[in-house]
Amino acid sequence: MSSSSLQKVLSEILAFAYRNYALTKNEFYAIFEMLFWPMISLISVGLLGEFLYLEKDAVAFIIIGVITLSVIQIAQIDVTYVMLLDMWSMSLKYIIVTPTPFYRMVTGAWLFGSLRGFISLVLLILLSAWLFGFTLSLPLTAMAAFVLGILLSALLIGIFNCILILVFGRRAEIFAWTLSAIVMLFCGIYYPITILPEPFRTLGLLIPITHYLEFFRSFYGFQTVFPDPLAIAIVETVTYLALLLVVAEISMLRARKTGLVLKLSD
Amino acid sequence: MVKAVECRDVWMVYRTFIEKDTVALRGVDLDVEDGIIFGLLGPNGAGKTTLISILATILIPTRGEVRVLGMDAFKNTRKVRERINISSGVRMPWGMKVYECLRFYAMCYGITDKKVVEDVISEFELEEHRNKRFDDLSTGNKQKANLARAFLNNPEVVFLDEPTANLDPDMAKRIREMILRIKDERDITIVLTTHNMKEAELLCDRIAFIKDGRIVAEGTSEELKRYTKTSERVILKVRGNVDKLNLPYPFKLDGNSLTVFVEDAEKALPSIVVKLAEQGINVESAKMEEVTLEDVFIELAEGS
Repeated sequence: MSSSSLQKVLSEILAFAYRNYALTKNEFYAIFEMLFWPMISLISVGLLGEFLYLEKDAVAFIIIGVITLSVIQIAQIDVTYVMLLDMWSMSLKYIIVTPTPFYRMVTGAWLFGSLRGFISLVLLILLSAWLFGFTLSLPLTAMAAFVLGILLSALLIGIFNCILILVFGRRAEIFAWTLSAIVMLFCGIYYPITILPEPFRTLGLLIPITHYLEFFRSFYGFQTVFPDPLAIAIVETVTYLALLLVVAEISMLRARKTGLVLKLSD
Repeated sequence: MVKAVECRDVWMVYRTFIEKDTVALRGVDLDVEDGIIFGLLGPNGAGKTTLISILATILIPTRGEVRVLGMDAFKNTRKVRERINISSGVRMPWGMKVYECLRFYAMCYGITDKKVVEDVISEFELEEHRNKRFDDLSTGNKQKANLARAFLNNPEVVFLDEPTANLDPDMAKRIREMILRIKDERDITIVLTTHNMKEAELLCDRIAFIKDGRIVAEGTSEELKRYTKTSERVILKVRGNVDKLNLPYPFKLDGNSLTVFVEDAEKALPSIVVKLAEQGINVESAKMEEVTLEDVFIELAEGS
């Protein structure tokens, strides 16, 4: 690849990071959703743990859940904005008509979402250490693998939301806010998935976040369903990512054939 | 020579889960020569926006072949998109400033040079609005910003969907002048849709009338005027009982205003006045006009 075509690829990817940056800079609520709600969740769940006289490990268990949920929620919405923002603005056709492929759009948006998610993560860890004595008990590489894993999980949810918008149009808007919460229900955000009845337990095992959470919690002495949760999480993440990108391309073609693209632009 | 746009037997059927299928285009054939302004005219729901969206690669037709700048629009979509652009409606991403919107779209075309954005801002007279939110602009300035976006990638073919819709006459005039200036400066092909016949006559080198998803007439505005049965008309203000009016020419009555369609207005006027007098109808005033594109449009739209 020549340097000019590499520059072009980077420009196309960074366009969507730039758009989300501009929106975050211009809209107060974007800062609010990045800081306010995660802090409220962390403080309320942490205080609940103290009220119930939970042991330190149990508090760590639920705090890991709160942090993960918050980071995923923030990062996934940035990816979902690839379609959601244009659906709100009725300007979808203008990104369709550019030469930028879908995977570059979501990559750029995900990069900025990851930055926002990472800032929240750091703040939440610091806050939970200060308020509830939470300590990081895992090595830096393991922590990096966990963070990358949950950010990639956010990418999966964001792409899934984009697909729903491309298939169902405005009716899918609600999923942008609820899908990550639904996923969290089955991946054991505040509890081990072993307590879930079948088939929800199996469903939980098919979600990579389940294994990323288990991997993190294993450093706090909690049992895992599989011996190497990180490997399973990575395999699931890569498989779903490839699958979702193919489905997204098909959905885009379908939206252009059915005219949904125009409906979302008028 | 490579044509800017070629369409062969293009059909578009909108299919949904719930509603009945809608046939928007029925076998459209179209050729747009390079370097001209081509107008697509037609009543609401005729298929103009569908056609322009297909040509701009936004929609994929149910059937048919589309070539843009000599390339198959659906096999070489990315290459085609690099060389075309579209302005349709006055929309931009919500929550962003004019400069940010344009910078974003420039980056989508792989343009990293900020000067390109600055140049279109000044070319479309948006300097004083560059740091305003797009949502806060007037409709006219939103249209200018959208046109600026459509020219960011220095396209060879630009599709403009109703570029002066909902604008006041002064702003519409300025936008038309802008389109003509840019077309001359950049030597590009423009395909535009419009409802405004005067605009079509003023801007377009060639015009196609589209009705019920079919191209029903195509040519220069002079060629199209020959589609009507008559070429001139006499407009009279009359007084008297017009209930049983009888004339040897086609006519239209609107209150006390009578329009008579003739081949030669000067020749026909005396006989019309005599015929009216015979029926007890007095003529208060009379004027003669040539047939306009609007008359052609109405005639074709009514299917007469």
